[in-house]
Amino acid sequence: MAFLNSFKNFLSLTPMIFAVIGLVAIFQVFVSPKMLSRFFGHGEIADIFSGTFIGAISSGNGAIAYVVAQGLKHQGISDYALIAFILAWTTLSFTHLPAEASVFGVKFTAYRNLLTFLSTIFIAYLSALSVRLFF
Amino acid sequence: MKKFKFKGVKFLLFVVALFILLSIFDFENIPRIMDKFGIILYKIIPIFALVIVLTALINYFLKPKQVMKYFGKDSGKKGLIYALIGGVLSHGPMYAWYPMLDDMRKHGLKYGLIANFMYARAVKLPLLPFMIGLFGLTFTVIVNVYILIFAILQGKVIDFLMKNEKEILKNDD
Repeated sequence: MAFLNSFKNFLSLTPMIFAVIGLVAIFQVFVSPKMLSRFFGHGEIADIFSGTFIGAISSGNGAIAYVVAQGLKHQGISDYALIAFILAWTTLSFTHLPAEASVFGVKFTAYRNLLTFLSTIFIAYLSALSVRLFF
Repeated sequence: MKKFKFKGVKFLLFVVALFILLSIFDFENIPRIMDKFGIILYKIIPIFALVIVLTALINYFLKPKQVMKYFGKDSGKKGLIYALIGGVLSHGPMYAWYPMLDDMRKHGLKYGLIANFMYARAVKLPLLPFMIGLFGLTFTVIVNVYILIFAILQGKVIDFLMKNEKEILKNDD
């Protein structure tokens, strides 16, 4: 019975899951790493914001974020912008927003994503500050 | 008996409409998109299986009262630690975990712990060697400690912001 209930709950979310996968597939085809790299290189603070925003609109496996970040690092983009980019990639996703809202409600989704957006910027900035102050 | 209802149907219709538009205006990319779709689906099928089994086990072993005890409003530090560990250990895309979180939420899981779980997922254990290679050990440790601190803070803020949501939750059910 527990298994059946669990399966039914999963089944009820399948339209949402297929929609997210479809949207992620579209993004992966149309948004290339080369395209993303154009948004960087405008100063540390601007790059942290760019990293957060670009990470949020990108989607795919977390490992891809590291590969893209490695390419960006070779272009001289700061570690802090790259951290913002990786964190946003793994915790924020515009393509997931409708799905998250349909499961947890608009209010929770709005609050959580706003907090995640701010946390990403703070973590990137505080990490930079900590390294400068203590190491 | 609760009525079975699909979630996200409008969202799916929107994506289908997008596919139709793309097949009219940019047909040559459709096979690439379908390939990506297949690859993503293939990769997350094992995670879906894991999520279904985990949800079933939680339903079987933890009755709603126990879910409330361990993950509800009075769950305290234990609930927080479970949520953080769960977030760090969970794999795959976030949306693969929605069914389990949704099920637990219906049994009393508080919103703050969902936020803890979701943000703690930024600590990617299998990718830590990549991160160390890219940023060095010190920076990696600092970033991951901050991630956990901010996961906890997010949970606290979400609990505060969502404290009046309980009645809405009841109406949802």
